[in-house]
Amino acid sequence: MNRGQQEYYKRDYALAKAEGKPFFPYAIYKDLLIATLAIGLVITFAIWHRVEMGEPVNPASTDFVPRPEWYFFFLFELLKIFKGQNALMPVIMATFIIPNILMALLILTPFIDRNPERRIQRRPIALLSGIAVIVFLAYMTILGGESPESLGGEGLPLSGLEADADAQAGAQLFLANGCTSCHAVGGVGASGPGPALDNEGSRGNDAAFYEGFLKDPPGNVMPSFTTFTPEQYQQLGVFLSGLGTKYK
Amino acid sequence: MATTDIGPKNPVVKVGEAAIDYVDRRSGATTGFKWFLFRNIPAETSWFQTLGFTAMALFGLQAVTGVILAMYYKPDPNSAYQSIDHITNEVTWGWLVRGMHKWGASAMIVVVFLHLGRVFFFGSYKYPRELTWVTGALLLILTMFMGLTGYLLVWDQKAYWATVVAVNITASAPILGPYVADILRAGPEFGPDTLSRFYSIHMLVIPGAMALFIGLHLYLITKLGIGEPPHSKRRMAVERAEDEARRAAERERLPYGRRPVPPSVPSPARTTPPAQAEERA
Repeated sequence: MNRGQQEYYKRDYALAKAEGKPFFPYAIYKDLLIATLAIGLVITFAIWHRVEMGEPVNPASTDFVPRPEWYFFFLFELLKIFKGQNALMPVIMATFIIPNILMALLILTPFIDRNPERRIQRRPIALLSGIAVIVFLAYMTILGGESPESLGGEGLPLSGLEADADAQAGAQLFLANGCTSCHAVGGVGASGPGPALDNEGSRGNDAAFYEGFLKDPPGNVMPSFTTFTPEQYQQLGVFLSGLGTKYK
Repeated sequence: MATTDIGPKNPVVKVGEAAIDYVDRRSGATTGFKWFLFRNIPAETSWFQTLGFTAMALFGLQAVTGVILAMYYKPDPNSAYQSIDHITNEVTWGWLVRGMHKWGASAMIVVVFLHLGRVFFFGSYKYPRELTWVTGALLLILTMFMGLTGYLLVWDQKAYWATVVAVNITASAPILGPYVADILRAGPEFGPDTLSRFYSIHMLVIPGAMALFIGLHLYLITKLGIGEPPHSKRRMAVERAEDEARRAAERERLPYGRRPVPPSVPSPARTTPPAQAEERA
């Protein structure tokens, strides 16, 4: 913006202020209203969706697939896009170069866009780049939210799982609920205290059996999993009853 | 004249006024409050312009709930998980405070991003508000770092491994990366000091920086005034009037059938003096 445009802005803003009204109470009441609404929503969510306790830290279990908070999903996905053939450069792209370029662009926006026009319909480049950034962030966040890692892991080395959506969901439940901290499947997971489940399917139990088993496991070693939905019992049942037979 | 002005003043009111005067003479607080609260702003402000205040209110909520959580939390690998369990299951209202702190973090990220979008699409970062934008951008980055450092404190599997990955990512950055990772971990490996280091970054270093930048951000907003929405009725009327004046000026300079001449090149033929016009007639 050149000197003349700055002078124009100052005169115009002085006029707007002269015709205006005081900040208190005319603007602050709107602020207080929306802020109260936001805090009310936070309290509502805190009551409606209680925070659960996760599994305590166990640095020995390396099979745990970490998942960031949802607002880092876009960076997490970036890492996967650039997860390249030969290690270093792609990783640096996703973890260092692109995030830093994004941060620099963010901080320097007023010094890059020096056009005095403020109405968005007359700023086509700003409009398009703004929309592009929103679409990019939204797309990457949704991708990150749906990725198997974020749901608890893709890690079981079994073939045949892809054919059955229920079995796949069951495998993810198996990983996400810490079953691998006691049971091993296909070499993934702990070798105890629970038995290895590689040939669980050969015992010929159906989904209903596993529902009963998970709700009230015999003995006092295995914790009970009563929080699943009927559908989740079904999925776990399909997964477990095919182990060693359909899925190897 | 108001009836309260007749007769001796209530001694309590007298003491109160004296106290206010005492503070005001030494601090100029009244001037400051007047400067902050009773300044004029443009008549029209958009509802979207409440998002900045909302982000600040959520920061306040995070600070209050965070302080309450800190009263019970123990940043030690052996007792961190148990102390969170204690907060969640035993402390009165503990589950609610923890839930508010967790949901508040997501809400703050959402509101901060919405606020960023509003400022961008309103063009409010333009002259004279460039530095307000810079402090705001730094606040956004600091907010993200709050989310990252708070994640580990729960000390469950998810928190632990996600942070291991985040620190490994930091370590992979060129030149400074390994050193920054060492600083975050308080050593070459995740150890007992890592948790207390994250705790102190999460509740002292970053909130301190954020308080500083929120102060600067507010000072600049107050000094420069609240941006007028670019589509406000007053602004649109000004633009219409300017367009009208420009067209009128062009029409005046244009005899019929001629192509428009740029106003920077004045041609004597276009402004026919009345004397010449009479002659021609």
